[in-house]
Amino acid sequence: MNAAPVAEHAARQQWIGVLAQAGSAELKRHEAALRDTEYQLIRAPEIGMTLVRGRMGGTGAPFNIGEMSVTRCVVRLADGRTGYSYLAGRDKAHAELAALADAHLQGTQQARWMSELIEPMARAQASRRAAKDAETAATKVEFFTLVRGED
Amino acid sequence: MSTTLLLPAFADPVLDSARSFRAALKALAGPGVIQPLVQVAPLDGLAPASYALCLALLDIDTALWLAPAFDTPAIRANLAFHCGCPIVSSREQARFALLDDSELSDLRGFDLGNDRYPDQSCTLLIQLAQLQGGRPLTWRGPGIQSENQVALPLADSFWRERDARNDFPRGLDAFFLAGHSVIGLPRSTRVSPSVTEEQA
Repeated sequence: MNAAPVAEHAARQQWIGVLAQAGSAELKRHEAALRDTEYQLIRAPEIGMTLVRGRMGGTGAPFNIGEMSVTRCVVRLADGRTGYSYLAGRDKAHAELAALADAHLQGTQQARWMSELIEPMARAQASRRAAKDAETAATKVEFFTLVRGED
Repeated sequence: MSTTLLLPAFADPVLDSARSFRAALKALAGPGVIQPLVQVAPLDGLAPASYALCLALLDIDTALWLAPAFDTPAIRANLAFHCGCPIVSSREQARFALLDDSELSDLRGFDLGNDRYPDQSCTLLIQLAQLQGGRPLTWRGPGIQSENQVALPLADSFWRERDARNDFPRGLDAFFLAGHSVIGLPRSTRVSPSVTEEQA
């Protein structure tokens, strides 16, 4: 009984993640299609700060790394669907488009939006990440101790 | 679905909430003087003035108690979204309370603060149909040069309840809201029947 909402939740997490990490230019290409609907801004795009916390090694006690700027936006389409976006940085236009995309993705046209918008961007992000990882991996240095002086 | 009930709030969240806060300060600094509040779209059952003051005053640290008349899904959803305030069911935990005029004959349970921290009392946001037209009363005290004639349409039971809970420095501060206006009534204001009426 809980499986469907959980899967829906995970799918939405995934596309919100893709939208947040998309380049502003990538989303701009779909701007006309995204804005081609009646909608109102429930929360106009606004810039704020959020505290980023981390854990040493991923398991230790939490500590504050620092603050980063975040932009968020909430839109509502004419049929009542609401779309949310939270993204790093200060790009208000990006936040509005990402919120619109989230709203569209919850509707009946979900499959079309997934194949036209989310999947190409997810592929592009994955290849960018892989290229970056490969570049970083090439510079990896293994440290090991041959002999320590004290014994 | 609570999400379908969400509506836009302040047109300019930063400046409009600062202006509303300023109006609230002026209302308490000059008790009995009507102060205009920022324009905001009214919410189902909530006057623009009440909504504006809620948006300006409430946040994640201020628990709100709602009178049954205001405890609707639309009001709950929008206050939770725009203010992020927790909504509590017991009056004792509330930092703010949103009341209508049917609740005013019983102010039991609201936190009056304590002698060390009188500022921790619960602040009452009282929505009325209008701010005039009741029995004129004379308000005296800090912020009023000599006296103010204020004719809030309130039953005597409210004034008895207020007096019973006014143990300075402990007590209840109130904002009266109607339409786009607010009147402040801090605990330090002394209210008595107007002079003309006493003579009559």
